[in-house]
Amino acid sequence: MSTNNTSKEVETTGHVWDGDLREYSNPLPSWWLWTFYGTIVFSLIYWVLYPTWPIGNDFTKGIKTIEVKDEQGKVIYDGHWNTRALLLDEMRNSPAALRQKEGIEMVKNASYEQILASPEMMSFARSMAKGLFGDYCAACHGTGGQGVLPYFPNLADDDWLWGGKVENIQKAITSGLKGNMPGFPTIQGQALDDLALYVLSLSGEKVDAAAAERGKKGYAMCMGCHGADGKGNAMLGAPNLTDKVWTVANVPGAGSIEGMKQEITNVIHKGIKREMPAFGHRLKDYEIKMLTVYVHEMGGGK
Amino acid sequence: MSTSAAVATAAPAEQYNYDIVKKFSIMALVWGVLGMLAGVYIASELAWPFLNFNTPEITFGRLRPVHTTLVIFGFGGSALFATSYYIVQRTCQARLWGGKWLPEFTFWGWQVGVGGGAILYMLGFTQGREYAEFVWQLDLAITVVWVAYFLVFTMTLRNRSQPHIYVANWFFMSFILAVALLHIFNNLAVPVSITSLHSYSLFSGVQDAMTQWWYGHNAVGFFLTAAFLGMMYYFVPKQAGRPVYSYRLSIVHFWALSFLYMWAGTHHLHWTAIPDWTSTLAATFSILLLLPSWGGMINGIMTLSGAWEKLRTDPIMLFLITALAFYGMSTFEGPMMSLKSVNALSHYTDWTVGHVHSGALGWVAMVSMGSMYHMVPRLWGTTIYSLKLIYVHFWLATIGIVLYIASLWVAGIGQGLMLRAFDEYGNLAYTFIETVTFMHLPYVVRAIGGMFFLAGMLLMVYNLYMTIVGARRTVGVNAPAAAVAHG
Repeated sequence: MSTNNTSKEVETTGHVWDGDLREYSNPLPSWWLWTFYGTIVFSLIYWVLYPTWPIGNDFTKGIKTIEVKDEQGKVIYDGHWNTRALLLDEMRNSPAALRQKEGIEMVKNASYEQILASPEMMSFARSMAKGLFGDYCAACHGTGGQGVLPYFPNLADDDWLWGGKVENIQKAITSGLKGNMPGFPTIQGQALDDLALYVLSLSGEKVDAAAAERGKKGYAMCMGCHGADGKGNAMLGAPNLTDKVWTVANVPGAGSIEGMKQEITNVIHKGIKREMPAFGHRLKDYEIKMLTVYVHEMGGGK
Repeated sequence: MSTSAAVATAAPAEQYNYDIVKKFSIMALVWGVLGMLAGVYIASELAWPFLNFNTPEITFGRLRPVHTTLVIFGFGGSALFATSYYIVQRTCQARLWGGKWLPEFTFWGWQVGVGGGAILYMLGFTQGREYAEFVWQLDLAITVVWVAYFLVFTMTLRNRSQPHIYVANWFFMSFILAVALLHIFNNLAVPVSITSLHSYSLFSGVQDAMTQWWYGHNAVGFFLTAAFLGMMYYFVPKQAGRPVYSYRLSIVHFWALSFLYMWAGTHHLHWTAIPDWTSTLAATFSILLLLPSWGGMINGIMTLSGAWEKLRTDPIMLFLITALAFYGMSTFEGPMMSLKSVNALSHYTDWTVGHVHSGALGWVAMVSMGSMYHMVPRLWGTTIYSLKLIYVHFWLATIGIVLYIASLWVAGIGQGLMLRAFDEYGNLAYTFIETVTFMHLPYVVRAIGGMFFLAGMLLMVYNLYMTIVGARRTVGVNAPAAAVAHG
């Protein structure tokens, strides 16, 4: 059964399958064998250094140790290497953590006036809040704060529904907001159209003056929140109707007076409820502070 | 030896059950096209999200397990059934055990399992375990099919008319046993009720995660590696017409691979809430796996030593040897990624996805394609319709793989670096969404890579279809001659 191969000196094992399947009896390639031994040595070293083998309810700890100190230089962990201690150390003592800590110390006890007046503190705030805004706010308000009609107001314009002072913004982020305009389904037909045209006239749209004048009477119902002059009320989050900024009705996108009127009548008819969740329990105080000045700056603030 | 060779070639149709091999081969092609199509579609969804069309059934989350199930179990699984049934019969010179119906049962059982699983995923029914998404009823059915497969395979081995068991069959045997073990333990679950498709895993927390990745990694180890090495050990020496390079290497790397793989799964859970010792063990056993994995590559590639010119003249050889090269590359990349420090960068990024595909497309798919090009004409007693189309397929596949892997290296390493970058104030330099924006272009290139690979697959289906149709036309004219020539 043994077969001689003409092209090589090496013998085959002598077994043959399926007509012509044979195997040479070549030795293991020595580079292969020695590299394999190398990986065994690597593993042995690794096992000596790090936690590896389970024994009963315990495990071999390895000889590598790790020491973590707190801010005062007090040792808070000193023991065998483990990823938990590694994280603890990295969050406290890595170069990035130290730099960030410095910045936080700088702004932590500063007042808003001080932060807004200090270019140094402002650039730290921008750096920190960019990530916070991207992770917590951008999903609704957009990465640039441009918002999405009708639910998520634009933060990048200078129109502030709930007030544009830093105190207003901080309160909004901390406690959240609930905006509620009730619907007025009883206003219908001509009265509804007239009211909508009056609302459009407030911001200077060229509408039928007679119709707007008629609509003025219906506006009495709206005054409670939007004010007699239509300038809104930041206490209630009621928008100013006399500027050209629209946060619910898509007036700028409507194209024609008829389209604008349709947008407005929809809102009057159905009303709208908006809610911004509270972040007070999710973010640290200084994070909210950084976000506040970031959002304040985004819309040009008040 | 000469008599056994004569028996092997004289009347294969009577001696061996080729009918079942043909059935599995055809289904491998069908699932391959569907599975790769699903893959191209979900890759495109990541690049162009409008392709979701607001339809739950075709969103990424539902189609992703459809893709993995169809390519791994549909295409890969059917190719393994086909080649293992072909190889075990030919190397044992024994007809497949179990009469007509038991092998037939494994065929229909497997197809219903794969197809049923895919439909249920699209409807939203899944166990939520990666690569083991089948609902519990299908898990039970698959177990029965697998026991039948085990019986057919081992009883055929027992009935062999050869004194020794060929190396390919060791690998198939370890594959069948290990997959049985993995499938049963990972899918232990308590059904919500006897009529419900839902179930709760028997494990929870860290144990659950470790069981899942013990399964997941060894599905790679025994399904996608050991079994396809079995395929390689038959078709590479057959196609090359040369003996396997080293019998000793095949023994050593077989046992090393079988022993070491089982320990490495936890490297999928580095930097999570698992005990550190499990992480270290997994990392070192992954490093230990490097050379045993390479043993298969060396044995395959060195089989061609002294006959390298075949790479210029034989496109089937080109498929098989390139598959081995990709196998070597991804089994080097794997242990590197299982080192904790490298993993800190690669984990949760698309680098992992690229790594999996260098193995899945480069190794598993290409070795299967090479094997099918060798086997299908022999099953139908004919010659291949077009060698030139095999060349074209080879280049489409290779370009596809290179685009795929390279773009996901860029996407994965880029995202990994962005996620851990700090600015001069020690704050995170990028938001998550910025990393997503960054990955758009690599995602587009990846989808195009997938399209290349799918185009090659379609070409293969056409080539093999024409081969089979050609064989049927010439039956009775020159089929016996062809069978002798290519047996």
